[in-house]
Amino acid sequence: MSESKFETVSSLVDNFHHEDAVLDDVLKDNDMSETWQRYHLIGDVLRDDVAQSIDIDLSDAISNAIAEEPTVLAPVKKPSLPSVVKAKVVSMVKPFGQVAIAASAAGLMVFGVQTNVADNDTATPYQVVQTGLAVGGVAQPVSLNFQQNTRADQQQAIVEQQRRFQALLQDHKQQMKFSAVIPSSKDKQQPQEADKSVK
Amino acid sequence: MKLTTFLISLVLMISPVKAQETQEPTSAESWLKQLSHSLKTLNFGTSFVVVKNNHAEPYHWFHGISEQGDELEILSLLNGPRRDVLRKGDVVSYIEPELPPYSVKTSQITGPIPNVLSNDLAALQAHYNFVSVGKSRVLGRGAQVIRIVPKDNSKYAYWLWLDQHTSLLLKLAVITRKGQQLEQVQFTHLDITEQPAESLIQLNSTELPDVVDIPEGYQQQKLAWKVEWLPQGFERINANRHRIVSTKEPVEFQLFSDGLAEVSIYVTPSKEQQRATDYVMDGATVALSQVVKGLEVSVVGKVPTQTAKRIADSVRLVSGAAP
Repeated sequence: MSESKFETVSSLVDNFHHEDAVLDDVLKDNDMSETWQRYHLIGDVLRDDVAQSIDIDLSDAISNAIAEEPTVLAPVKKPSLPSVVKAKVVSMVKPFGQVAIAASAAGLMVFGVQTNVADNDTATPYQVVQTGLAVGGVAQPVSLNFQQNTRADQQQAIVEQQRRFQALLQDHKQQMKFSAVIPSSKDKQQPQEADKSVK
Repeated sequence: MKLTTFLISLVLMISPVKAQETQEPTSAESWLKQLSHSLKTLNFGTSFVVVKNNHAEPYHWFHGISEQGDELEILSLLNGPRRDVLRKGDVVSYIEPELPPYSVKTSQITGPIPNVLSNDLAALQAHYNFVSVGKSRVLGRGAQVIRIVPKDNSKYAYWLWLDQHTSLLLKLAVITRKGQQLEQVQFTHLDITEQPAESLIQLNSTELPDVVDIPEGYQQQKLAWKVEWLPQGFERINANRHRIVSTKEPVEFQLFSDGLAEVSIYVTPSKEQQRATDYVMDGATVALSQVVKGLEVSVVGKVPTQTAKRIADSVRLVSGAAP
């Protein structure tokens, strides 16, 4: 049964079925509707339609950010006002459809892209090169742990490491925005003061 | 008669440009001074492409002065999900897929073009030399080539190609000590206009998202570690604890800048005891990570890999404090 059920979904995705009853079945069945989303995602990935920075877990990241740093991400906390403002900005910069992904869909996409990345390194959002070269020394395996001998584990470790680097590159950009580097202003004493507090 | 009309029309064609330039600068310093002046005062609309590794990111960039005298800017990434940066005077708003739209109280847009270019470049002279190299042709215009060369070899050099009439940026490249080009910003279109672009006028009447409230002291937190070595001229501009947006990993964080390049340092306890140094390059930006004695240290920034490694090696726990 389950095999044929997924075949139904598959043919639906491919536009072979048009009976409403079949569609209803799919929508009611949790497994099937998940499969439906997954198949579409796979299609999107194959067509290169997925947003580049999609490995960001929107729902979790934001809720976490709110919990951890309510101050920095203050706009998130006040739903009423920002949504009004958002509408205005949105109307100005024209629709940016991909931003409005439902949290559930975002979660799915993260899963999908992860597996895709595991299969194919070229799908990483930034084109990252030169992994796994030790600086000023011999090339070392990237594996996080030398007991992980199997190829799959190593592959997993590399993917893991790449994701970590992407996260760092992205966070670096984000922090620069908040830090608002103004090199010309000589009126910032923070560096000196901060230095003292460290020592 | 025909000649006279021709001459008059020629003068008319040249005059708007003449009005914008003061004099053709003579030294590298004056070229750069003129560049930051033009970036702050002209109404222009441009397109450029950032080339790194083997991919290219196209942008639109508009700048103008509102009737009230505020600077207006729009910087949009044209490929992939929308990323827009809007600026009205000293409020900069970011519209990006990861977060709801937000604003930061600053007059600096953080983007692919170092914001020091529209600021006081002279402040860089303590640690960089400005060299005027000669003339070239970029974007169909006569261009003056200026190099910003670091005084020590722990940093990258920046080469600039400036429009001979307005000193506006036509091309920018980040170059290693050995002359290898790591990242390039190539302008593909440049319009200098009397009036600000339509989109800027629209922006002027738009209400921007709320300014993010960064509490006093948030960016100067006391952390359990310090960096003992940094290239000359790097000053700390941020020290905080936060979670990395995409991995949710809690980190202790410091950001340093020498005015041109920024370096982020992340420290977090690791499950592993040791991990060999590993790094990736995104254009000129390196991300380097290692675990020493159960402490993961990562360095991200537009500095040579050796510099990043040396910075990472110089991180020490402050005695008495737990990681």
